[in-house]
Amino acid sequence: MSNTDKSSTQASQSGVLATLQRSLRGILQGSVSILLSILAAMVVGSIIMAWHGQNPLEIYGLLFKGAFGSQRSIFISIQRATPLVFTAIASTLAFRTGVFNVGVEGQFFIGAICGTFVGYAFKLPLIIHLPLTLLVGFLGGALWAYFPTIMRQRLGISEIITTIMTNYIATFLISYLTNYPMRDTLTTPETPPVHESARLVQFVELNENLGKGSQAHVGIFIALAVVAAMYFIFKYTKLGYEWRMVGISFPFSEFGGMDLDRTFISGMLVSGGIAGLGGIVEILGVWREYKNLFAIGFGFRGNLAALLGGQTILGSTVAALFYGSMEAGALGLEWAAGVPRQLIDVIVGLIIFFMAAPGMWAFVRRIRWARPSEEVRRTTKELEV
Amino acid sequence: MDADTVAQLLDILQRYVFNVANLQGMLRLATPVALAGLCALITSRAGILNIAGEGMILFGAWFAVAGSYFFESALAGVLAAMLSGAVIGGLFALFSLRFRAHIIIMGIAINIFAVAATIFMTRVVFGQAGAFADPRIVGLHPIDIPIIKDIPFLGPVLSGHSIIIYLTWILVALTTVFLYRTPWGLHLRAVGENPHAAEALGINVERIRFGAVMASGVFASLAGVYLALGHLQMFTDQMSAGRGFIGMAVNTFGGGEPIGVFLSSLLFGFVDTIGWRLQGERLIPVYFISMLPYVATLLALTAFTLHRERARKAALANSNNGEEQQED
Repeated sequence: MSNTDKSSTQASQSGVLATLQRSLRGILQGSVSILLSILAAMVVGSIIMAWHGQNPLEIYGLLFKGAFGSQRSIFISIQRATPLVFTAIASTLAFRTGVFNVGVEGQFFIGAICGTFVGYAFKLPLIIHLPLTLLVGFLGGALWAYFPTIMRQRLGISEIITTIMTNYIATFLISYLTNYPMRDTLTTPETPPVHESARLVQFVELNENLGKGSQAHVGIFIALAVVAAMYFIFKYTKLGYEWRMVGISFPFSEFGGMDLDRTFISGMLVSGGIAGLGGIVEILGVWREYKNLFAIGFGFRGNLAALLGGQTILGSTVAALFYGSMEAGALGLEWAAGVPRQLIDVIVGLIIFFMAAPGMWAFVRRIRWARPSEEVRRTTKELEV
Repeated sequence: MDADTVAQLLDILQRYVFNVANLQGMLRLATPVALAGLCALITSRAGILNIAGEGMILFGAWFAVAGSYFFESALAGVLAAMLSGAVIGGLFALFSLRFRAHIIIMGIAINIFAVAATIFMTRVVFGQAGAFADPRIVGLHPIDIPIIKDIPFLGPVLSGHSIIIYLTWILVALTTVFLYRTPWGLHLRAVGENPHAAEALGINVERIRFGAVMASGVFASLAGVYLALGHLQMFTDQMSAGRGFIGMAVNTFGGGEPIGVFLSSLLFGFVDTIGWRLQGERLIPVYFISMLPYVATLLALTAFTLHRERARKAALANSNNGEEQQED
């Protein structure tokens, strides 16, 4: 009690200290609720595993070993995280602009197929071919985001329904393309391989000892460049400011004199573009040809990573890297202990449920650490002065 | 047009559009969409944007298969699914209404979570990947309606369906009665239209919304039951295939009225059936047919909204004219 008394007198003496204390408490409470969420999700995960007859500690140990245990596993983590960084940033941008772009999945696919086409259909020098392929991937994703954007902008149709519909359309369209016009061999539905000049180099191709047994590639640097660019745009440019403001309040932004249409449409298109870029980077780095439905779920996991990272650029990046490495760990877990790799998706989902509910932790705090009544009265008095 | 062409057209129409098999198909394909539409309806009328229908359908389908498999009874499957719908709806309501989680974020998370969780559970509980089918899963038997089944054309169309189809029709009627003929329905509509006014009248807004979300979970889970036990007795990964969202669209076309939802779902089932009929003709690759429901949803949403906008503008112009005349 005396301790809190002291701190409160200090706070009233100096406004700076009070602000500092408040923001520190805010950060602490924020990270405490994230940590509590992770902990709670891990506890639920443990119960599932124990019920399944496995030792949770052993499984979590294997998970972390699979993610960070050796040079190879770290590179596999990088490989799995690369596309997620793109989709997480794409989701974050859209969510912050106030659009629930759950079509990242489809934009990822369309970007990948458009880029793949440029990658195998043209023979160009590397200096032109690679950037062109990446650009077409970006444009493909943006194009796919265009329809839902226009439907929301002009007609006010919820982007949640339209982006989900375009996801399904994208998967069937691509199944058609890889089965008929773009098919290379009779045996499997896949496109011809992308030319050497459009490929992203894998680390193992640079140096045999670097990431042996993984397909991690230099695309991670493109991903990080996108993160840096987006961070800069969000923080220091007018466009980034407008994106954030439109997400916070439409009327305020309009009153502030922003061109709402332009801001909103550009936000959504860039979001789709980044998703498409992620798709083509994954193709050029890992697969080098479009296998029908080569990687389902990167878009949705990106959505989750953006939510996990609190919809900030840096938070989402960290969340995507974390999610990617946990996925790598889960793959190892599947081989080692036969635990389905979806376990990690379940745990991440649980973390988000616990995190998304700020009221829950307030609720928990109220029951367990109820504040003495006189302290509450004192703060009220402070407010009145 | 001469008589020959007309006869030919009629023949084509009858062969591909209006025949018993197509109408049966329409009723069948419309059912999960209608239930998903009711799921969207009951929450939207309570003023909640519930996008978790998709995930609830998936859980419903899984628990229907699990219940039917473990108890070797279709009824147990239905009950397990309905229970799962109520529990997931309840948790969704608890988190988003009581714990103040953002309802759309929560919905997105539930939908993605449902996909992963059902795959995980299929692998852990049944030891199967991708799909799970087993002779021990008891399906829902078709029901013949005594008198109707003997009527020439109507009999085969209306009779001999799974119980969920009839239940859907009953639920559409019951929802209408509930909304417009019971005090609870009145409260629900009041909460949806103006929660503050409803609260001022002493209606417990949170409790009404809680109930609406739980009911939506039950509706969605029934859609899942139909998908899992209606025809083939199996669970397939992601078998809800966007029906939760199509249900939201159907609720929009239906103007938030149960009967409207039902009619739009029939239209939807009709388009879907024609698509599958075309597939037999091998006119176009199957992928375009599979795309049809989603393209149709987008087109219908666009057309519907354009129409509504135009009507609103016309109404606005009319009222402006009226004012000018008054001024004169």
